[in-house]
Amino acid sequence: MPQQLAIIVLVDVGNAIADGTLDGNTYLFDNMKLHGSDGQGTGGLVTAINGAYWADGSQASEQVLNWLPYSLGSIPPTVPRGYQSDRARQTDREALAELDALAARPAAGADTAGRLDKIRKSVGTRIKTTRRTSGRLSNEKVLDVTGEVVGDLGTGSYSYPGPIITDIYGEAVDEKIMYPAEYGSPDMVTDGWYWSATVDTSRPGSYAYTMRIQLHKLVVQDGQALWHPVNLTCTSSLRITSEPKRNAFTKAGMGYLPVPMHAPPTEGYAGTDAVTESARSTG
Amino acid sequence: MKPQVNIMAVVDVIGALSARTLLDGNLCMVDNGDYRSTGQGTPALCTLVCPGQAVQWTALAVDLQTPVDIKSIRFLDPLGGEGVAWQPQHAAPIAANGGFPHANGSDASLSNGEAGAGSAGDSDTLDLDVWIGLVPPWMTPGVPYKYRLELQMYEGDNSIMHVDLPALMSV
Repeated sequence: MPQQLAIIVLVDVGNAIADGTLDGNTYLFDNMKLHGSDGQGTGGLVTAINGAYWADGSQASEQVLNWLPYSLGSIPPTVPRGYQSDRARQTDREALAELDALAARPAAGADTAGRLDKIRKSVGTRIKTTRRTSGRLSNEKVLDVTGEVVGDLGTGSYSYPGPIITDIYGEAVDEKIMYPAEYGSPDMVTDGWYWSATVDTSRPGSYAYTMRIQLHKLVVQDGQALWHPVNLTCTSSLRITSEPKRNAFTKAGMGYLPVPMHAPPTEGYAGTDAVTESARSTG
Repeated sequence: MKPQVNIMAVVDVIGALSARTLLDGNLCMVDNGDYRSTGQGTPALCTLVCPGQAVQWTALAVDLQTPVDIKSIRFLDPLGGEGVAWQPQHAAPIAANGGFPHANGSDASLSNGEAGAGSAGDSDTLDLDVWIGLVPPWMTPGVPYKYRLELQMYEGDNSIMHVDLPALMSV
């Protein structure tokens, strides 16, 4: 079993916002299928956590859970962090160049209004910066999943900001089965933050927990676009088992290693003599 | 003399599965023994031990989210054959047979080359195995006893790999 377990929380952001619920719009995966997790790829994931204990009953292995929220139908989180700002600046530069060209040839006349309209669309829609969105969502434009700016919010489909886990709580936390917390991370794929928990495997059983997840809905207010936070919840559970550690050689207590009674030939073991000498001199 | 020597097998699971080999830097073995073990940091680690010392093997993944467990440890048969098959009577707890596992004088099973070392259980319970044992008194000093270290990385046709390079040597 890996020491650290990953739980992927994949959210269909557009449909979750439209439905006002994460039920049916969340897909959970973990890397514990081999160890008995159920419901992979559904909203009903049960994460199997197989603990171990020593002969004296003490916990023998630690499990760490990491939650990674991803968005379905968004620009992947693996593109460079400055991508959205870069696109915003690039489209501004392109629009300025086109305006320059238009100003240099005013005689084109009849089509000026049409060309201005085209430029307006290619500039896209800049997101209004508010106190709430002054960080990661500021100075950006609305993009579609291919990274093109969206000029007409009424018709275009656009890429939502990724989901953010803002809390993990519920039975598994209340019962002190796991101790979740949010940590800073140098990994910008997770936006610099991630939720992680250590698990107490000494009390086997099934324990539910709830994740509070923040999505962002695009609203147009006074002619300006802004991302409005939407807080929703989804539940999952942990199934904890615990088994005793065992001696792999004897299946019981400590015994001699199964070393053959015949001594191996010394030929073919380059450097054996030197090794022996140095060993003896230090021994 | 330390009562216990720890041997750590550090595995780059993704590297090993991609290249289908534990060599080329995908397996790095180290120990904390008292003597000058050779091959530290390579798959050809030769750990120097004393009779009566406990030796414990542990596998660790470089990427903590990748699974790796020890599937088996078999000392290679010096008389030929694939490896030393594990028979439970050879490793019976010392207390149960007066402290000498080969008291009956038979070592035929040491050369039968069959699989069977280590856990007979499923791959998903390998993490319960503790690979620890005592260095027996019958090892000839100064002679490396090579062993096969078999590792399992998740499940499937290509998930199990081994190296025959590491060894224990009594001083």
